[in-house]
Amino acid sequence: MPGLFDRRELFRWGGLGLASTAMMHMMLRDGMLFGQDESVPAAGQFPSFVPKAKRAIQICLVGGLSHLDSFDYKPDLEKFHGKSLDSKEQPDIFFGQVGLLRKHDWEFRQRGQSGMWMSELFPRIAELSDDLTVIKSMVSDSANHTPALFFANSGFQFNGFPSVGSWLSYGLGSINDSLPDYVVLPDMRGGPNGGSSNWSNGFLPARHQGVVFENGPQPVRDLFPTLPMDEAAESDTREFLKLLNERHLKDSLNEELLASRIRSYELAARMQLSVPDVVDISGETVATRELYGLENGQTRDAAMRCLLGRRLLERGVRFVQVFSGGPIAGSPRCSWDAHENVLENHTAEAARIDQPVAALLQDLKQRGMLDDTLVLFTTEFGRTPFTQSAADTVGTGRDHNRYGFSVWMAGAGLKPGFAFGNTDEIGWKATENPVTWNDFHATLLHLFGINHKQLTYYHNGTQRRLTNVHGEVVDEILI
Amino acid sequence: MTLVQFLVFGSVAVWLLQSPNVGLAQKPVTSRPSIVENGKPAELSSDRPPPPSIEKLIAQRCLSCHSGPEPEGGIDLTRPSVVAKNPEGVADLETSQLWQVIHDDEMPPDNPLSESEREIVRDWIVAGAIGDFEPIDVFQFTTDHRAGYDWWSLQPIQRPEIPSIIDTGQLKSPIDAFVVDQLARQSLSLSPVARPRDQIRRVYFDLIGLPPPAQVVEVFERNPTDDAYAAVVDDLLNSPEYGERWGRHWLDIVRYGESDGFERNGPRRDSWRYRDWVIDALNTDMPFDEFTRRQIAGDILCEDPVEGMAASGFLVAGLHNTVVGSSQQMQLSARQDELEDLVGTIGQTFVGLTFNCARCHDHKFDPITQREYYQLTATMAGVSHGSRQARHASDEQRLDELTNQIKDLSATISNLEKPARHLILEERLAGTISRPPSPQPLMEWQFAGTQYDVEHRPTVHLAGDARFSPAGLVLDGDGDFARTEPVGEYLNEKSLEAWVLLDGLDQQGGAAISVETPDGAIFDAIVFGEQEPQHWMAGSNGFRRTDSFAGEAEVAGNQPVQMTIVYSVDGTIAAYRNGVPYGKPYKSNGLQSFAAENTRVLFGLRHSPPGSNRFLTGTIVRARLYDRALTPDEVAASAGIETDYVGEAELIARLPTREAEQREKLLKELESLSDEKSILESSSLVSVYTAVSTTPDETRFLPRGDVMMPGDVVQPGTTAAVSQLVSVFGNSEPVNESKRRVQLATWLTNDANPLFARVAVNRLWHYHFGEGLIVTPNDFGFNAGQPSHPALLDWLAAELSDNGYRLKPLHRLMVTSAVYRQSSLLRVDASGMDSDNRWLWRKSLVRLDAEVVRDSLLAIGGKLNRERGGPGYEDVTIIDQNNGTTYYESFDRDDPVLNRRTIYRFTPRGGRSALLDSLDCPDPSAATPRRSVTSTPLQALSLLNNDFVVRLSNDFADRALAQSSGQLEQQITWMFWEVLSRAATAEEISAASELAGKHGLSAVARALLNSNEFLIVQ
Repeated sequence: MPGLFDRRELFRWGGLGLASTAMMHMMLRDGMLFGQDESVPAAGQFPSFVPKAKRAIQICLVGGLSHLDSFDYKPDLEKFHGKSLDSKEQPDIFFGQVGLLRKHDWEFRQRGQSGMWMSELFPRIAELSDDLTVIKSMVSDSANHTPALFFANSGFQFNGFPSVGSWLSYGLGSINDSLPDYVVLPDMRGGPNGGSSNWSNGFLPARHQGVVFENGPQPVRDLFPTLPMDEAAESDTREFLKLLNERHLKDSLNEELLASRIRSYELAARMQLSVPDVVDISGETVATRELYGLENGQTRDAAMRCLLGRRLLERGVRFVQVFSGGPIAGSPRCSWDAHENVLENHTAEAARIDQPVAALLQDLKQRGMLDDTLVLFTTEFGRTPFTQSAADTVGTGRDHNRYGFSVWMAGAGLKPGFAFGNTDEIGWKATENPVTWNDFHATLLHLFGINHKQLTYYHNGTQRRLTNVHGEVVDEILI
Repeated sequence: MTLVQFLVFGSVAVWLLQSPNVGLAQKPVTSRPSIVENGKPAELSSDRPPPPSIEKLIAQRCLSCHSGPEPEGGIDLTRPSVVAKNPEGVADLETSQLWQVIHDDEMPPDNPLSESEREIVRDWIVAGAIGDFEPIDVFQFTTDHRAGYDWWSLQPIQRPEIPSIIDTGQLKSPIDAFVVDQLARQSLSLSPVARPRDQIRRVYFDLIGLPPPAQVVEVFERNPTDDAYAAVVDDLLNSPEYGERWGRHWLDIVRYGESDGFERNGPRRDSWRYRDWVIDALNTDMPFDEFTRRQIAGDILCEDPVEGMAASGFLVAGLHNTVVGSSQQMQLSARQDELEDLVGTIGQTFVGLTFNCARCHDHKFDPITQREYYQLTATMAGVSHGSRQARHASDEQRLDELTNQIKDLSATISNLEKPARHLILEERLAGTISRPPSPQPLMEWQFAGTQYDVEHRPTVHLAGDARFSPAGLVLDGDGDFARTEPVGEYLNEKSLEAWVLLDGLDQQGGAAISVETPDGAIFDAIVFGEQEPQHWMAGSNGFRRTDSFAGEAEVAGNQPVQMTIVYSVDGTIAAYRNGVPYGKPYKSNGLQSFAAENTRVLFGLRHSPPGSNRFLTGTIVRARLYDRALTPDEVAASAGIETDYVGEAELIARLPTREAEQREKLLKELESLSDEKSILESSSLVSVYTAVSTTPDETRFLPRGDVMMPGDVVQPGTTAAVSQLVSVFGNSEPVNESKRRVQLATWLTNDANPLFARVAVNRLWHYHFGEGLIVTPNDFGFNAGQPSHPALLDWLAAELSDNGYRLKPLHRLMVTSAVYRQSSLLRVDASGMDSDNRWLWRKSLVRLDAEVVRDSLLAIGGKLNRERGGPGYEDVTIIDQNNGTTYYESFDRDDPVLNRRTIYRFTPRGGRSALLDSLDCPDPSAATPRRSVTSTPLQALSLLNNDFVVRLSNDFADRALAQSSGQLEQQITWMFWEVLSRAATAEEISAASELAGKHGLSAVARALLNSNEFLIVQ
């Protein structure tokens, strides 16, 4: 399988697009630009206080990472291994099979200076524990993948609401003039449940939607014609279009709506330059390539996307989402949804991302970017301490658990090497400082200098917010 | 004042605008005199308002904190007399707590009362603080923070007078008088009439969403009169493309999508009838009140059942959660979410009220209580999602006719046969001839009788609660069946026969008798209701040998039915019911044989293993298995065991020749009628994704919206905010489901509901002018603010109701107005004062909608397939992940099937198309009462590079090349006319020729289709 952004493909781009667009770019710079930045931040009021973060990259683990096997150490679960769940409550799970309790499948050790407990599931990330801020008491409103993913992304369980990246784009506007504010990098095995609804702009204007960068000759859809066009035809056509539009603009007394459409074509021309440029990793050093695991088949997909994420952030993209996991119902399993066998599934999935994510953190840090960049490592829910099996057996898989799970953040404004919150003794439910997605989002916006109650958009009778009518900033994890 | 009177009056040119109040609509006196003054939009009022009453003052200044279940400081000022008096109950200024805090400017905290306001409080206390108005209803008065019952949009509509203004020759419609009047107040003026071609382009794209033919523009340019313009408008309004354009607007509002959303997001294959219904309703100019009522309760109100189900597709146009999870809380929450979406959509769509904002607490901005919200959910509580089947009334009628004709004809035939039949039976009785022998079965099971005859072989074993009764083998459909020991004989040709008394006709998939291999992997069976409800079929493993007999739907009530299925050696399978053919035999893939000693017979179970829908509910009286294919006569004889059956051959032999011929003819006639009936029965059955009406449980008030803490029972009803109408539908008796919806439909569309017509005309205005008189078309509450042209809004609303709620006259009024036909050209003076064009000093520019761009490209490229209605075209690949999430991936292909108008696109949620998406076409997950219009680089890239655009550019160039002249210059001119409705300038022709010379006409096409002049309508 060809890797993402094959060098030969890049070369091909050079042949069909670069030269003409470079020319276009120069031409456009010759006095025709009406302004460098199309962005209209929400009433220009944000950030309303000094932000800690300027940009963020989120690793989204699709399917539900087992917190019990990664970040939430439960020594008591070893004791209870093979016992039945001592609860009168019928667990609210997806498949309705409540097996016996199962201990973690990976050994836990205390890490770094903080002494934080982390398992061997992510050995390289664990080495960076002193940079992480782990929240071990996340809770969600849904234990179904799609609504839970929507909820983690947009604060609502339904289709049709703007995602975090869209809100940031709307609230803060652009800090670049040739790339989208919000870029999405799906797993090469496919899009997550709910597809593009996960990065939808919802009711916000279309310019705030997440833009998917994909493998292949068209990293962004319609960036170039599918059938390569003659370079001269391309530029002559635009020249003629310019002639039509300019005369029309003049006749229309420089109408702003017309001018802004002309500008959008100029931005498009710039994207045709900057997108191939950002995905062209040929200038990265051998050390960097090795750091991310680019040359390794197992890590290649995530390595490419994590590295691309860093490059996008460097060039002023506000929010990047890297998905780990494709469609939930894909067969064989290609997500973290370890109903059958956590050991097998998580081993395979972690092997794909552990090195690239750790590399991303190190790389951002050594470039000094981690000071004003957030790295988010999230999953839509966790997994149950009891197995998904008959009531009298210790199975090998775990079901969905929305009552308690772990995520981590790192970078700008966060307490490094800090674990927050806790679940009960078997890791089923968050008992200490539960954090909802609304709280998580409020905290995220806060780090960007936005009061989550003030970032609003009128839609059908309500000033809508990312945090609905809830959300408290988790002050305890902030510096 | 009629239009004619107005024009006469208008031309008299009376200037009556010296005083801003003269000539203005006076607000009507309503049944609530105390609130009239608030109904008048503040910006038009120049009178000093009368001093407020004490209750109004307190309501507006104090109650936002001091009311409700937890009033601030524990002080509830809905009964101010309590706080006004001292602890001894005496109204005394010196000791009045209320007066103290007001006097000391402690309260209200941020904005103390004015001197005159204090006076009101002081006077009231001094006069004894009499609380005869108490308690004050928090919703009674509009405040700075919220709307009350006196909010403008809730007040009755009375037709305002048309402003009398000087006509400088510009005015064309009463609308113009209202707008010009308003403009004059802002020292602004209307722009001159637009260029003829702009007028034509504008009205074409607006009314039908397609570019005008060059010829229409040319003709109008030569004769740009009002009459010629009006004729164009009439043509457009009468064309079927009108409904296709305006239907799209409606589908935006009702968030019509063709998949479920949520986890699985499965496609809805038969919801398109709602889309077609909307288009047809608009094209036939169905009155808007009727249009509304049918969407809420069409399944009850429409004479034609299919139309009714299609119309009430509105109720299920939104999301539906098909994977709710196992916990009760999640199930209840999901249902409440669905009801909130439905109730919210109804409120926003028809009356501009955001009912959904009152689910957890009283509405924060509008006078809608949380209880009223639950009244509304009670009204809709019986609505759920599903597919229903029905026939058009005309088909039902034809089926009835056929049934009667068949009955009559059968009777005629029977009479004809009677003498011969009688003769035969007489002779039988006399012993002259013997009765035809009943065929000999291989095995027979006689289950009926006082005691089951255990002698039968092979032995039968009962499973579940199956038992024998005098009536036969009784099966309750839940795990009951009987199974024989292995059959000793080899079976190839065979016949299965059973006498069954069904317990209910809506069961699906049980079998009366089956033969199967021991593991159930291979079987043949007499199955009821599995593929077609209430029909018999020859069940088989994987439906290998199953097809429809297209027989009659089963109607048997308390009589056993004899079913026989005959499997012939050539694979033909025939069925008989009570001895006569059941539907038509068919040829299967081949006969299935069953090995000796490796075959069992089942009763009541379709096949092993037992489970799911395989059980029959009913009583099996008797069953037979034959190791050969019975002839029709034999089946009849078998059926006739206890009757006076006479076989076909026997009968014909005894009929006189003439009668026999006559009978032959009638039988042919009968066969043809039966054929027609069975074809019509299956072909006319229409399946529609629509509201399924169920009997709802009682609805309970949910404090804070918490499904786990239900409160008291709430009656079906609506809001009391429209005070002229009754808001509770049923007081003591539970009102049945359909009646509830009819009552809501009546409430919505009542002439006395002022929101209904206001919201409707504002939508028309919004789409015609780009911005509504109220800029939030789905919200006429506090957040909507005041209309830009209140009198115009009401005048239009009155016009709508006086026109019998027909929309086309309103369209005509709007698009023939001078306001609509004026130029869109920028005017620096006016732009400086009103850059948003709120006062309509020009026609606003309109960027073509995504669908209009696509449809126009197809039209210009000569590829538009104008096929109307029916299932949508699918430009998505549907990927169903093991019955998990369904993914929709859009593709482009040059295929006439896909080249239909975009309203016919199959529109799954999340299955968006790159081109449409980039042009702001919304995902149908949420209502879109107004689309955003953006200019993004992604949009530019899509319009330049999307396969569809590139392809249509080539098609367009091919059309240009085919133009008769073959001259490049003329081809270019033709292209300009097609895209921009004008000739190209010399400069353009020369540049285009150069481009075409180098890179072909498709380069010219691509540029033209990307041009601002094409995409933005002036």
